[in-house]
Amino acid sequence: MLKGHRRIAERKAIVFFARLIHGLLILTLVSVVCGSMALAESRVVKVGVYENSPKVFTDESGRPSGIFIDLIEYIASEEDWEVQYVAGTWAEGLERLEKGLIDLMPDVALTTEREKRFSFHKIQVLSSWFQAYARKDSGLQSILDLNGKRVAILDKSVQQEAFTRFSRGFGLDTKLVAVADYKTMFEMVAKGDVDAAVTNQFYGSMHARKYGLVDTAIVFEPSALFFAAPKNSSRELLEAIDQHLDYLKKDTKSAYYATLRKWTSEEVRFRLPVWLQVLGLIAGIVLLMSLGGSVILKNQVNARTRELKQINSEMEVRIIERTAELALAMEKAQSADRLKSAFLATMSHELRTPLNSIIGFTGILLQRLGGPLNEEQEKQLKMVYNSARHLLSLINDVLDISKIEAEQLNVVSETFNLRETVEKVIKTSQPLAENKNLKLTAEIAPEIGLMKSDRRRVEQILLNLVSNAVKFTEQGFVRMKCEIQNGKIVIAVADSGIGIRPEDMDKLFNAFQQIESGITRKYDGTGLGLSISRKLANLLGGEIRVESEWGKGSTFTFLLPREGEKA
Amino acid sequence: MKGNILVIEDNEQNLYLVRFILEKNGYTVHAAMDGQTGIDMAAALKPDMILLDIQLPVMDGYAVARNLRANPELAAIPIVAVTSHAMVGDRDKAMEVGCNGYIEKPINPDTFMSEVERHLVVK
Repeated sequence: MLKGHRRIAERKAIVFFARLIHGLLILTLVSVVCGSMALAESRVVKVGVYENSPKVFTDESGRPSGIFIDLIEYIASEEDWEVQYVAGTWAEGLERLEKGLIDLMPDVALTTEREKRFSFHKIQVLSSWFQAYARKDSGLQSILDLNGKRVAILDKSVQQEAFTRFSRGFGLDTKLVAVADYKTMFEMVAKGDVDAAVTNQFYGSMHARKYGLVDTAIVFEPSALFFAAPKNSSRELLEAIDQHLDYLKKDTKSAYYATLRKWTSEEVRFRLPVWLQVLGLIAGIVLLMSLGGSVILKNQVNARTRELKQINSEMEVRIIERTAELALAMEKAQSADRLKSAFLATMSHELRTPLNSIIGFTGILLQRLGGPLNEEQEKQLKMVYNSARHLLSLINDVLDISKIEAEQLNVVSETFNLRETVEKVIKTSQPLAENKNLKLTAEIAPEIGLMKSDRRRVEQILLNLVSNAVKFTEQGFVRMKCEIQNGKIVIAVADSGIGIRPEDMDKLFNAFQQIESGITRKYDGTGLGLSISRKLANLLGGEIRVESEWGKGSTFTFLLPREGEKA
Repeated sequence: MKGNILVIEDNEQNLYLVRFILEKNGYTVHAAMDGQTGIDMAAALKPDMILLDIQLPVMDGYAVARNLRANPELAAIPIVAVTSHAMVGDRDKAMEVGCNGYIEKPINPDTFMSEVERHLVVK
């Protein structure tokens, strides 16, 4: 490092000395000879130009431009060189340089191979790397994605060689398409002729967007860029370039940094096309207007927000009030429910206990256990007995329906003999039927025997169906038929009674609803029997169906699953 | 004299009714109006049968039955529960605590005696 500095210092001293002598010589000559001699003294430097914006290119007016051009113009003005530009492709430029047709070629990456062919100065002008650019939708993410793809690359460039090495290293089969300049390469990518193009980062970052292209993560071969001179030319030009670069690079306000700022992406923004500037102006105006608008809008929004907040807080208060009301109502409902349960339990016990007495004592009196009875006494006691039994059944019905509706009624599963139950029901109902001169019969299939269900509830349902049939039949018969069909126990109770009108079928099973008819008054009951029976049947996994013909009679069918029935 | 029957029942009318029917049918009836008295009387009398009301105050019929069954001296005495509960599971519960039978209230004078005698062990 120290050594380097010293060498540069020495070189500077020598050059300064040389320039001093040079200057003195010129002064002497000028004092002796006329001005024409001064022109002869200006050194003509031929510089190659090719298209690689922003490093070196030809601008719209046909003038060479770019970082390398700015630099050489600056150095030329300092050194009093007369620069002549020779435009061509990259390959042409290198060829001209090799043949000594030009003095300097800008933007040449230093490679060992090139060092053999050309002379380079020592301080690099720029460092760059290569990057692949592709269409937005290409999906190219890594070098591996380039396998089997067509990639445009600058003809005879270092990247051509580098990319070939690079892709081979990954064992990729990428088809390289050599193109004379970057512009054509990007056009080809945009048109879809190739999948990607490899350019240096300067060109790519500046131009990719214009072609709708984006940079990929495929980056390789960092390189140092120099001016190159023909191999065997004098090093005078190269040394002058190094001297200037040395100074320029130390001062951030120098022409070197100025040109970098001018040509790299930061500066590019200031070279936006006119239409974009107009658009920007319009956007600015629109923005200002919308800012003004938004202030007004904001005020309105604030006002609305305040209103909404107020409404919201009012709503919250209301919700709290309502919730409290609901909680109270809920509590009331729950206490009512508890009251109902307590009422049911009390009813069950307190109402039935005195009835048990009434039924029990009238029963024993009628049995003559208390002594003999005359005819009138027996008739009256029977009335008491029957009324008490009826009242008990009403109480039981009301309790049952309440329990069913409160979902407190559970059924048990026990093994019992269905035949016995059916026979018991017939026996219990027989006196009622005989009173009305009805023929009550039961036909029980031989396979009917033990089954599993709730004995009491099955009995209750059957009693209800039979007593209903007897109740609504004035003459004829009530027939029970008990059999097994399709794996289900089917108990049908058919009568030759008044039947049910079709329009009444729907309300048949409704609680507290006895079918209205001219003769309804004749029939006692709460109208709960069928409703309870159907609900009980459902609880037992069965159902009750009804068929009826007005004036001819009805058939109520109780279907019950036979599962649990002992084989 | 057909046998001794202990009736544990808190309701006077029911007790009277049961006593009346049983006595008319030739049985000797001993009555207890609460559970604890019933247990004590059962231990002292060793009756041929116990008719037990389930809805007793303080100690209910289930507790009384359990208590009676805990005494090995009384193990052979049939206990028949009498209740107007008529609720599902009552029968199972009564059987579970050691009752031999179950008669539902209201008492039907026509069938009461046959139900009682079904459980009576004839000496």
